[in-house]
Amino acid sequence: MTQLLEITGLKKQFGGLTAVNDVSFSVGEGEIAALLGPNGSGKTTVLNMISGALSPTAGTIALAGERISHLAPHRIAHKGVSRTFQLVKILPSLTVAENVVAALAFRRDPLWGSRATERAHELLAEVGLAGRGGEHADDLTYIDQKRMELARALAAEPRLLLLDEWLSGLNPTELRVGIDLIVSLRDRGMTILLVEHIMEAVRALCSRAVVMNVGNKIAEGPTAEVLADPVVISAYLGEGHA
Amino acid sequence: MTRTIIGFVLVGLALLALAFMPTQLGAYGVGLLLGMTGYVTLASAWALFSGPTRYISLATVAFFGIGAYTVAVLSEAMPYPLVLVTAGLIGLGVALVVGLATLRLAGVYFVIFSFGLAELVRQLVTWYEVNVTGTLGRYIFLPISATEIYWQLLGLAAITLLIGWWISRSRIGLALKVIGDDETVAAHTGIDISRVKLALFAISATIITLVGAIQAPRWTYIEPAIVFNPTVSFLTVIMALLGGANRLWGPMLGAIPLFLLFEWLSANFPNHYSIILGLMFIAIVFIVPRGVVALAEDLFKRARRKEAAQ
Amino acid sequence: MLLTALISGLVLGGTYALVAMGLTLQYGISRIMNLAYGEITIFAAFSAFILFSTFGINPLLGMAIVLPGAFVFGYLIYGVMMQPLVSRSSRTGSLEVDSILATFGLLFVIQGVMLITFGSNYTSYNYLNFGVNVLGANIAANRLLAFALAIVIGGVLFLVLTRTRWGTTIRAIAVAPASAPLVGINVNRTARFAFALGTMLAASGGVMVSMYQTFNASMGVVFTMKALVIVIMGGLGNLMGALVAGLLLGLVETFVATYVDPGLTLASTYLIFLVVLLWKPAGLFGKAAGR
Repeated sequence: MTQLLEITGLKKQFGGLTAVNDVSFSVGEGEIAALLGPNGSGKTTVLNMISGALSPTAGTIALAGERISHLAPHRIAHKGVSRTFQLVKILPSLTVAENVVAALAFRRDPLWGSRATERAHELLAEVGLAGRGGEHADDLTYIDQKRMELARALAAEPRLLLLDEWLSGLNPTELRVGIDLIVSLRDRGMTILLVEHIMEAVRALCSRAVVMNVGNKIAEGPTAEVLADPVVISAYLGEGHA
Repeated sequence: MTRTIIGFVLVGLALLALAFMPTQLGAYGVGLLLGMTGYVTLASAWALFSGPTRYISLATVAFFGIGAYTVAVLSEAMPYPLVLVTAGLIGLGVALVVGLATLRLAGVYFVIFSFGLAELVRQLVTWYEVNVTGTLGRYIFLPISATEIYWQLLGLAAITLLIGWWISRSRIGLALKVIGDDETVAAHTGIDISRVKLALFAISATIITLVGAIQAPRWTYIEPAIVFNPTVSFLTVIMALLGGANRLWGPMLGAIPLFLLFEWLSANFPNHYSIILGLMFIAIVFIVPRGVVALAEDLFKRARRKEAAQ
Repeated sequence: MLLTALISGLVLGGTYALVAMGLTLQYGISRIMNLAYGEITIFAAFSAFILFSTFGINPLLGMAIVLPGAFVFGYLIYGVMMQPLVSRSSRTGSLEVDSILATFGLLFVIQGVMLITFGSNYTSYNYLNFGVNVLGANIAANRLLAFALAIVIGGVLFLVLTRTRWGTTIRAIAVAPASAPLVGINVNRTARFAFALGTMLAASGGVMVSMYQTFNASMGVVFTMKALVIVIMGGLGNLMGALVAGLLLGLVETFVATYVDPGLTLASTYLIFLVVLLWKPAGLFGKAAGR
């Protein structure tokens, strides 16, 4: 398998605090990988550096062999990286459809006008929001806002999709639907890196997992093996459980 | 679609009526109309950039003065239309330099820079005139009547509103809304935020420069203290804010009553003028921070909701 | 000549640094971007002038009258004008824009009052206007006094902020305004106090300026501008940065005025500002990014 995302020696410092320390891993083309770790372990910071929201203190991030670290977020988006946010970010003054049109209108090969509106409705249908494009983004429930955010991320037709706890907060039925949706995205050839706390979903979806703790990578490998690793268990549950 | 066409026809008719106004008015009336149209254009152009981005530009008079001074310097050396084009280009150039330096950063840097820009340009022009040309103050002898100036300003006002209308329907307009809602999302959906801001600032500043250039022949005598008068920046901001900087017609609705009020104030209270203005400005920030148009919309919506509830 | 320029530059820079420290207090702790800041400086300069020429009170004693007055004025302005904006901003998040607009209005009000009261002419008075030999350079005594005052006031302020419990409170707010209430800090009261203190510093700069420089009612903008440039150069909210940047600006201005052209001092200020923005937007001593 060729590697789509390659992260080498990634480091991020905020003042004196090192949030991410010398992390290296890669994600293969067409793979669903998980980035795991307890709260505050630096997972979201890693996602933020991949998407360009933060720029790394040191290290490199490459997409399909091309270096994308230190590019502005809009440039990285144009290279084919899309994401959702841990705390869902909607555009409250726009309608649901306009939220998606915004992403269509500014992707690398932009869509605009009636074609963009059509495509936005298709994408909304795909995430389970068929026929609701006219509603105000503000008025949606939290779960529906998450769906809309995914439709917005998909609008760019990304090569790499970053999902930051997108599945958390779903009830068991919705979780099933959500997992199926992610699988169907992979089957279309999309590469997905997800940060997730719901282990059931991680086991079902991800072939490989990377685990972080206090800014360091502590394990990497096939998901089942990694989750059985005593080091990982102790990181999650504290010393004494290993 | 038909509503758009009807709207355009109505606006066209209104413009035509306005163009004929000078034939019905005396010299004082034309002067008033000219000044009013100038401020409608300034406030609308200001709002093109500062409304959606919330980057408060306090540099209106810097560009206005650049326009006026360019005409004063070049009016004898070039044909008039070429002078206007040159003035516009100089304004555009300055806007690009200022924008490139400050618009990548947080809004406050831009505000600070724009705040002092007029004073800087004024001092530079003064220095240049005193040290290089040896005179402070210039005469403009251009055979352009007040009515002709008024017509040019009316045209520019119409163009400014047309640009505003076009932006609201274009991709740039959507980009601005997205930026206004959430800059992080904007950047992650592929919007080049600084470029959008720069483009709008450049358009806005060029129009403002042209207003100064077009109005210059009204003065006949020009010196830095006259054309770089900070009151112009101040009036522009207060007008746009009163009407509502986020609405197409807002700045215009703020500019007309305030211009008339200022004319009256400066005639009757020349000494207390700036105090009254300042107090009004503060009152507007407190009472109608989003402008009267947005306020009226809110009231209208509330009334309709009440109706629906009954 | 060089030595004279160097010492004059430091003297001027001392006043600038003091004025900028006040602005950095207002912006860093009270979160108010005060565009009427320089008007306070000029108003204080006029007050010192009136006290001296009409009542024969020397500027040193005058300070004892002007500074408490400025403090009270700042305290009132914050309560009447800023407090409502601050409480509104918890909902709209627009304190910065609102404060910029409101103080822009205030600028015109204060300037209008000054124009009516003091007229639009340049003003100055003679106080300690004789030369003193410093290391071979001839410097006016009033400038030296102003410099000494700047050092004393700035030094006391610095000690208070770094050595006292109250100073720690203030700096805590500057670093983490949202978390400060969690450790029992009354942000509102501290912000109001800091704003008033900033106003007082602006006024102290004004009294100093009046001792050695001519001034007029419409010069406030220039002082605000210089203070802002210094604050940005030093890094927003950074007191030590403001001090160093203030001295630096004073030196640059004096050198430009001496060796290039006095008409280009503001242009040189701006040039420095541009270079800093392009090269280090977080300020020469700042750590956080500009955005």
